[in-house]
Amino acid sequence: MATDSMVPALAVEGLSKNYGAVQAVRGVDLEVFAGEIVGLVGDNGSGKSTLVRCVAGSQKPDEGTIRINGILQTDSNPHKVRLTGLEVVHQDLSLVDTLDIAANFFLGREKCIEIPGVSPFGFLDYGYMKKFTNQALADLGVNIGSIDRPVGFLSGGQRQMVAVARAITWGESIIILDEPAASLGVEQTKLVLDLVRRLADRNRAVVFISHNMQHVMGVTNRIVVLRLGRKVGDLRTRDTSAREIVELITGSDLGNPV
Amino acid sequence: MNPSPQYRRAVGTLAGLVVIWAIFGALTDTFLTGRNIQNILLQSANVGAVAIGLTVVMIAAEIDLSVGALEAMAGAVTAILLKFLEFPVALAVSMGLGTVVILGALNGLVTWKVRLPSFVATLAMLGVAQGGAFVLTNGRPVNRLPDAFRFIGTGTIGPLNAAVVSTGALFILTHIILTRTRIGRHLFAVGGNAAAAESSGINAGRIKLYALMYSGFTSGVGGLILSARLNAGDGRFGESDLLVAVAAVIIGGTSLFGGVGTMIGTATGVIMVVSIKNGLVLSNVQDFWQRIVIGLLIILAMVVDQVARGERSFLKRRRPGGASI
Ligand SMILES: Nc1ncnc2c1ncn2[C@@H]1O[C@H](COP(=O)(O)OP(=O)(O)O)[C@@H](O)[C@H]1O
Ligand SMILES: [Mg+2]
Repeated sequence: MATDSMVPALAVEGLSKNYGAVQAVRGVDLEVFAGEIVGLVGDNGSGKSTLVRCVAGSQKPDEGTIRINGILQTDSNPHKVRLTGLEVVHQDLSLVDTLDIAANFFLGREKCIEIPGVSPFGFLDYGYMKKFTNQALADLGVNIGSIDRPVGFLSGGQRQMVAVARAITWGESIIILDEPAASLGVEQTKLVLDLVRRLADRNRAVVFISHNMQHVMGVTNRIVVLRLGRKVGDLRTRDTSAREIVELITGSDLGNPV
Repeated sequence: MNPSPQYRRAVGTLAGLVVIWAIFGALTDTFLTGRNIQNILLQSANVGAVAIGLTVVMIAAEIDLSVGALEAMAGAVTAILLKFLEFPVALAVSMGLGTVVILGALNGLVTWKVRLPSFVATLAMLGVAQGGAFVLTNGRPVNRLPDAFRFIGTGTIGPLNAAVVSTGALFILTHIILTRTRIGRHLFAVGGNAAAAESSGINAGRIKLYALMYSGFTSGVGGLILSARLNAGDGRFGESDLLVAVAAVIIGGTSLFGGVGTMIGTATGVIMVVSIKNGLVLSNVQDFWQRIVIGLLIILAMVVDQVARGERSFLKRRRPGGASI
């Protein structure tokens, strides 16, 4: 639900991105307010992940603007974007398999013991990072055992939980989850959906990408539909139905009930 | 760093070294003597320095084929400055090292900004630097260098050789950087999954630049050790060190795919390869067999790793998304 603030946490306007001849995203507008969970849906290849990568600063849009908490993002990159409190669980999870869980949790934001004079190197504070990671996972109810193991040793579901927990922990303002429940078991899926709801309660702005209509209908306040890179729907969840969303996704009036 | 698979792998290398020492110790009377062990360490000093930087580059999932040529270049520049321009040793050494650090930076910039694979960038540099060293020295060794410079290769600090001490210190320093510092962590992250590192705000290209610069630096140290020991600057120096260094790094457990490697492993790998060379000489095996054996050793180490990889899911599950660009 939109709260007191009239400025959207995330405001995308007229965003376009081409890959050579492929127009992956075409003139998409998207607004997400603090405390709101917006579902972003569309068929495979409809441009969801591309849109997310542009917002995250991993890719440069060809056209359009992105504002985070009202501030126009120019010349953005992942480093700048994460400083605004926006975190993404990318579809590929962005984990380094050869590093352990705590190292992945603190990837790019390592806690260091700063020693004057030699601080350009920054000496890793292993103890702190381990303790913090353990605590963060416990707080979220994520149980994956020892955090000393390389992430590559984990199951697909466990890896996904690490990525989700990392984004939730660091995303102070906006959290974007690109198919976060794709390889999760029943228990873990329930946990992730629950965590997403709790994020909104804590006034985060959430973008939730999923192919599972049940999840999308169950967790979101609003649903934005992409088809072939274009926005073809922006509806309040309580005013629509899974059937209508599926029709918008496929572009047929007789949509296939899923 | 946790005592994870990386260190278990180093223990394996260490066991291999013990076996090789036992074999040559049994085959010859001279191999397992204090004097010869010292010899092995001395012969390990320059290629050890080279292997340090190569390990760093390979952890970042890149390669540096120019290490041997950069050795020659550092030695040639320093020798010329000492001999013909009579520069003070400290200045000549700094300029020799500075030259190869800049060449390493060129390797890095071509890899980062021109987006050529480091394989290509450093292969080109191999030609440029080795040729450049020959041009600078006019194709002839520049010899009879000042004693103060020769100390780097032949002097002793306490009971130890100065070159061994320098390379040992470089191993320890690099170990600390790799395991204790933020930049070391970023190096492993970039080599393990460049795309993931990038989306976590790490500039992968810049990390690779630093790695190739560091490799230039350690190759330069190796080159200076070599020139000081052999009392000359020469375009031919370091020619065979690429093979030895790559073999040592791979035997030491550094992954060709990046993200994995230790200084302990590399140090052990260097001593192992040098021991084999040394042992073959003492066993009266003809010189050129050494290279054949080292070449075969690379294959052997890779096969052993592949077998081990079957049990280690994290190397198997590497996704194409994690490949470096
Ligand atoms: N890196 C890329 N290079 C070329 N084409 C791409 C790239 N990433 C995505 N595409 C293309 O852009 C379109 C949108 O893809 P994507 O954003 O991944 O869609 P979604 O996440 O909705 O499945 C697809 O046609 C896809 O093939
Ligand atoms: Mg996608």
